[in-house]
Amino acid sequence: MTRKAVSLLLILLTLVCLSGCWSRREMSELAIVMGAGVDRTPENRIRLTLQLARPAAFGGGAETGGAGAAERQNITWVVSETGDTIFEAERNLALKISRRIYWAHNIILVFGAEAAKSGVGNYVDFFMRDPMSRENIWVLVTRGEAKELLESHSELEKTSAQSIGFVERNKAGLAVIFKDFAMALASRGSNPALPAVELQKLGEPQGSGMEEEKQHEEVVMTGTGVFKDEYLVGWLDTSETRGLLWLRGEINKGIITVPSPGRPDKLLSINVARARTRVEPEYDGENIGFNITITIDGELLEQQSGEDLTIPEKVEEIEAAAAMDVIRKCTATLEKAQGEYGVDIFNFGEAFHRKYKRDWKELKYQWNDAFAGAQINIYAEAHLRRTGLLTRPATVKK
Amino acid sequence: MGEILENSKISSRQAVFLMVTMIFATVILSVPAITVKHARQDAWISVGLATVAGLLIARLVTTLGLRFPERTLFEYPAEILGRWPGKLVGFFYIIWFLHINAGVIREYGEFLVTAFRPAPPLIVFNLMAVAIAAYTVRNGLEVFTRANEIFFPLTMGLIVITSIFASGETDIQRLLPVADVDAVSIFKGAMVPLAWFGEIVTIALVIPYLNRPRESHRAAVTSVLISGVVFMLVVANAIGIFGPDLIEAMVFPGLNKYRIVNLANFLGRFEALAMTAWVTAGFVKISIFYWATLLGVSQVLELKDYRSLVLPVGGVLMAMSMLDHPSALHLQHFEAQVFPFFALTFEAAIPLLLLITALVRGKGERLG
Repeated sequence: MTRKAVSLLLILLTLVCLSGCWSRREMSELAIVMGAGVDRTPENRIRLTLQLARPAAFGGGAETGGAGAAERQNITWVVSETGDTIFEAERNLALKISRRIYWAHNIILVFGAEAAKSGVGNYVDFFMRDPMSRENIWVLVTRGEAKELLESHSELEKTSAQSIGFVERNKAGLAVIFKDFAMALASRGSNPALPAVELQKLGEPQGSGMEEEKQHEEVVMTGTGVFKDEYLVGWLDTSETRGLLWLRGEINKGIITVPSPGRPDKLLSINVARARTRVEPEYDGENIGFNITITIDGELLEQQSGEDLTIPEKVEEIEAAAAMDVIRKCTATLEKAQGEYGVDIFNFGEAFHRKYKRDWKELKYQWNDAFAGAQINIYAEAHLRRTGLLTRPATVKK
Repeated sequence: MGEILENSKISSRQAVFLMVTMIFATVILSVPAITVKHARQDAWISVGLATVAGLLIARLVTTLGLRFPERTLFEYPAEILGRWPGKLVGFFYIIWFLHINAGVIREYGEFLVTAFRPAPPLIVFNLMAVAIAAYTVRNGLEVFTRANEIFFPLTMGLIVITSIFASGETDIQRLLPVADVDAVSIFKGAMVPLAWFGEIVTIALVIPYLNRPRESHRAAVTSVLISGVVFMLVVANAIGIFGPDLIEAMVFPGLNKYRIVNLANFLGRFEALAMTAWVTAGFVKISIFYWATLLGVSQVLELKDYRSLVLPVGGVLMAMSMLDHPSALHLQHFEAQVFPFFALTFEAAIPLLLLITALVRGKGERLG
């Protein structure tokens, strides 16, 4: 009997311990960071801006307000504070924010242009060292201030941080997670390149509650920020960014537009279904060269001209034109990277290291200079594999 | 003699599970960083070398053990070297097991505190680990061996499955070029994993309790082989994800790997699984070394029962786990710089000397 009583007591005792509430964190006690931005103030201090979610406003009912849609609530709260280190700024923010700052759901980290130009080295450590922040947040650089960028809203998504996060996730343009950014910073064989974002007014105001003065600016991707080591040195536009992606072998989606073979005034658009980039370094002890081979599998998804393209000769012509278009984009990007900025943002140094590990030991210390002088040959080979659901435009009079 | 103290019987398979859990529990967290620091992207070669050397240690220890199949590592030094020198060797082993166990307990706590930053202080986690282990070892070898048989698929399964999930982020090119660093660095990188694989010396305490002691050769070799191959894959996987530059700066590369897993944009944050595997395996490892200490003390002092020692040894372990290292930094420095020499002395040097002496003096029987 006593044995039973003791057992029961022990079981009850475990109940007390098992609830495990020592360091429990309730949703309502957290200030969930959706996006973080780093700027440099004129006094050379760090300004950390956080876009915090307002869970109360996240509730499902807000948009289905029935008759007379409810007033649109501000779904995020953007606050910033300065400090000499990121952590100090974060702690200074904690004095203003009623809840515990919770980093684990952060989606994006944005560097302001000024902060990036002065070197991001001072800003990155916290985001790897603090266990709450993740290695897979998207890293971006803005042409203006990170604070302004985070103050924006999104029409389609709940927050602008989510919006830009989804654009990145779709891999439509350059997409860099923190881990890859950190690796590019640490490696002598590559330099970081971050997607550049800006604010733009998109779309027209529609319906009630969307009068023009209330229309927000949305975050859009407008190219790439090029870094030399930790310093932002310049920008690439969207077309040059395509070149960067081709050369890095990071093209996941995209189109190539070429003139129609028989009708140069009409255009064709080819969807890139699959692409592969091979980088083959060459070194004879003096001259560094790279042979880049890009292989593209495409499908024709739009044709303006009325001609029949199912003839092999015409397909070959299209393929050659598509390959030329890719080469042109790559060459433009390369000229800018080699000539204007003198930085290897293509990980070519890593490729060189893999093939010439002995010579690399000498070259790695001035790799960007070596890269700027390298002879780079680009070969592209496009294959038109499919033509969508049509063989020729169906609506053309014969 | 052994029967009085410990009347467990375990199978060879159980012994393999036990040894693999023991090695893997701690090797996966901090060792990749130490090895990569020396050998960069060739760290997997270092691990391969360490595995080969570990196999030699396994063979050495079982060869020695099988000369005295009824006795443990705490008992046969007395037969080989004479009563008092033998007791001295046994005493050193007790100290060794205490120290490495204190390190394991500390790392167990430090991992939880560093990576998950809970509110409770370190001592709470250490105390919990020691308290559960105390209850476990009090029930003897067979109990925690069987418990581990249940945990093993869970712990190793989680490690393997999460590594597969993480492979989406892996770029195999980061392992190239092969042999980028010189041979010396690769050997240096092999030292620390070897110290872990050398923990297979613990099988010398288990041999008398195997239901087929003659299979201990195979059990020991299998244990090191499984640990080595899986660890090599884990290290290669980590390098493929983070590249050598980031890994060498990390405290627990084994953990960071799981943090970036993202399956189909909705399954992620696998570190909770990694923590489950680690806490379970860590508990088994602490129990093994705890039990080894108890067995050692009672065999060296020729006691009939070790159960009365559970609490005092637990207290000593608690104190040592808090006092051996003033900080996690100290623990990391110790693991990278001191532990290989400290460990290999007991894992390889002393068993080798014992074996040579036994051969010269013709002690023990030829079984293996």
